[in-house]
Amino acid sequence: MKKISTIIVFLAFLSGCSSVSQGGYYWGDYSSTYFSLVKDRNADTVSRRVVALEDIVSKSADRDIRVPPGIHAELGMLYAEEGREAEGFAQFEREVALYPEAKPFVERLIARKQP
Amino acid sequence: MNKLILVPILLVLAACQAIETKREAYPSMYDPALKPLSIIVVPAINKSTAADAGDLITATIPQPFADNGYYVLPLPIVHKIFQDEGIVDGTQMINAPASMFKNVFGADAVLYVTIDAWETNYIVLAANVTVGLSYVLRSTTTDQVLWSYKARQVVDTAGQSSGFLLLDVIKTAVATAMTDYLPIAYRANAQAVTTMPFGGYHPQVGTDGNAGVVLKSVKEDAVKDLGDGS
Repeated sequence: MKKISTIIVFLAFLSGCSSVSQGGYYWGDYSSTYFSLVKDRNADTVSRRVVALEDIVSKSADRDIRVPPGIHAELGMLYAEEGREAEGFAQFEREVALYPEAKPFVERLIARKQP
Repeated sequence: MNKLILVPILLVLAACQAIETKREAYPSMYDPALKPLSIIVVPAINKSTAADAGDLITATIPQPFADNGYYVLPLPIVHKIFQDEGIVDGTQMINAPASMFKNVFGADAVLYVTIDAWETNYIVLAANVTVGLSYVLRSTTTDQVLWSYKARQVVDTAGQSSGFLLLDVIKTAVATAMTDYLPIAYRANAQAVTTMPFGGYHPQVGTDGNAGVVLKSVKEDAVKDLGDGS
């Protein structure tokens, strides 16, 4: 009995780790939603992309790991395109806070948004 | 007598297959002044017969390179900016000065990916899918090549024989048509990335200089592939 519960705990531990990549990131549905977006960019594929990115942000927080590069910036861009400007800017700020080297790029994005 | 013949053969083999460590192969990647942290990926340079392979291949790039410790600029946004500027194929970017990517995007390095092969070969009852990708990472401050690698993945796609010749031929064709190329592209990426020194966000950054072996020819072929594209 004790053996079985040990195995269960071990398996739970393994499955918890398996969704984190070698680089220590949680990518969730990053690739599949990206491929869908590349094949056909429409309201449906864009909204599924937003869900996937939000999932990466929240699951990374659950696991106490760094959100992968570009996720906050892309989410910010998609929010801004939906007219949720304030939320978009908040995401841009989070990208720069995590990755300071993203600053010039993010500033350029903001400049493009404000002609 | 036999030994005398064997020695020159071994020497020839060693000369052809010049192997280097990561630090020998890519010294700039260990130089604090040159080592990039942020990378911009330009649209793939498609030299294969599959016209629509470019965008999908490009989409497989950010994840493995981010996992190797680099800040990869958000490709879906970068890609869209390029599209707005009328740039859909990386060929249009080869001759652009790399410093442009520093000034416009703030990237330390630019990654060019050339698709050399993306095809299915039928050999009567067998079939295989070949994906060949060449990677060249160039500094945006000095224009020099920091890292390059030519990866090639061949995967057999023919299933089990049914015992009937005609049925086998049909099965082979169907199996290959349904094969998803993308997992094979990921294998090519993984093969290439193992030779690439860890980036600043990797926990083992700076410790892999003596580890890993890089074939000199494979490193040089990738640069040649990019050069031919112009």
